[in-house]
Amino acid sequence: MLPALPAHAQERARYVFDQSIGRIGFSARHLGIFTSVGQFDRFQATLLINPANPANAAVDCVVETSEVSIPFPGATDLLRSEPYFDVARHPTARFQGQANGLTEAGNFPIAGDLAVRGITRPFRMTARLVERQGGIARFQAEGEMRRGEFGMVADRNFISDIIRLNVDVRIVV
Amino acid sequence: MSEASPRWSLAQRRLHAWGGILVVCTLGLSLAMVALPMSQLLAKFLAYQLHKSFGLLVLIVTLARLVLRWRRASPELTGISPRMRQAARLGQAVLYALLLIVPCLGYLTAQAAAGPVPTTLFLFIPVPHLLDPSPALYAWIRPIHQFAAWSLIVLAGAHVALAVRHQLQGVPVLGRIWG
Repeated sequence: MLPALPAHAQERARYVFDQSIGRIGFSARHLGIFTSVGQFDRFQATLLINPANPANAAVDCVVETSEVSIPFPGATDLLRSEPYFDVARHPTARFQGQANGLTEAGNFPIAGDLAVRGITRPFRMTARLVERQGGIARFQAEGEMRRGEFGMVADRNFISDIIRLNVDVRIVV
Repeated sequence: MSEASPRWSLAQRRLHAWGGILVVCTLGLSLAMVALPMSQLLAKFLAYQLHKSFGLLVLIVTLARLVLRWRRASPELTGISPRMRQAARLGQAVLYALLLIVPCLGYLTAQAAAGPVPTTLFLFIPVPHLLDPSPALYAWIRPIHQFAAWSLIVLAGAHVALAVRHQLQGVPVLGRIWG
């Protein structure tokens, strides 16, 4: 876990984290029968946040698309291929977002831009402070993207267009 | 038990035929599901699901055959030597064992696979998985499933070939089980 950089009370602190203390996962539905789950094994994220007032958070996250992993034989290579992340031409995907200061039932929206396969679209995640024990705060965020909007149109008869993204991170505050 | 008849009962003859058809279909689907590329994802998934469905039907049909066999006396096998008769009985016992073991191993293989793909009988009836995915278990149970399945195919082929041979030699064995 990474300590906070120096910050004044009630001001946002800057946290830099990666896959060692966080997880970025995704899930898709298949024929309405089952859900597959995968993750990105390498990413770098910067979080500007005041844990006492997380509704003003900002995030910038870059994932290495070649480090996508999914526990189905052959599926990881499929996701790296041209019809999906096309990692040869687009080695990274990025989300930059900013909370708007509003909270609802403990959740705070983070709106921004998601860039996948060189295509940038508005994207919104809903984040929340899950727990704060001792000096550790755990945040989670979720959002839904339509893969077709990013040119990922293969296997629509088997893989849902909607892909759920989720982030889980613990930071020392 | 009823008195022995020269033929297997109609139900036994039908189940024998369906069991054979299902084994051939399951084998064909297993070859297709492995050969299909990931670019044909839906077809590959359906081949896996149908392979699992047919495999479970093989198990059900085999259990039904064993129940009928237990309840009804087997027809007398005449016209072949006692040694050959013993060999035939042993071969049938091994075939029955493989017809039970191979689907069970396949069911365990599906459960142990790393990607938790559910098993659904013909995409409609969910079949519960009793084990959590286990790459270690999968690594050793999958080759055993494959070896047992190919053993079943080879033995079933020999079973058919010997039956035809007996028939051609004037021992009317096919009439006991077909028709």
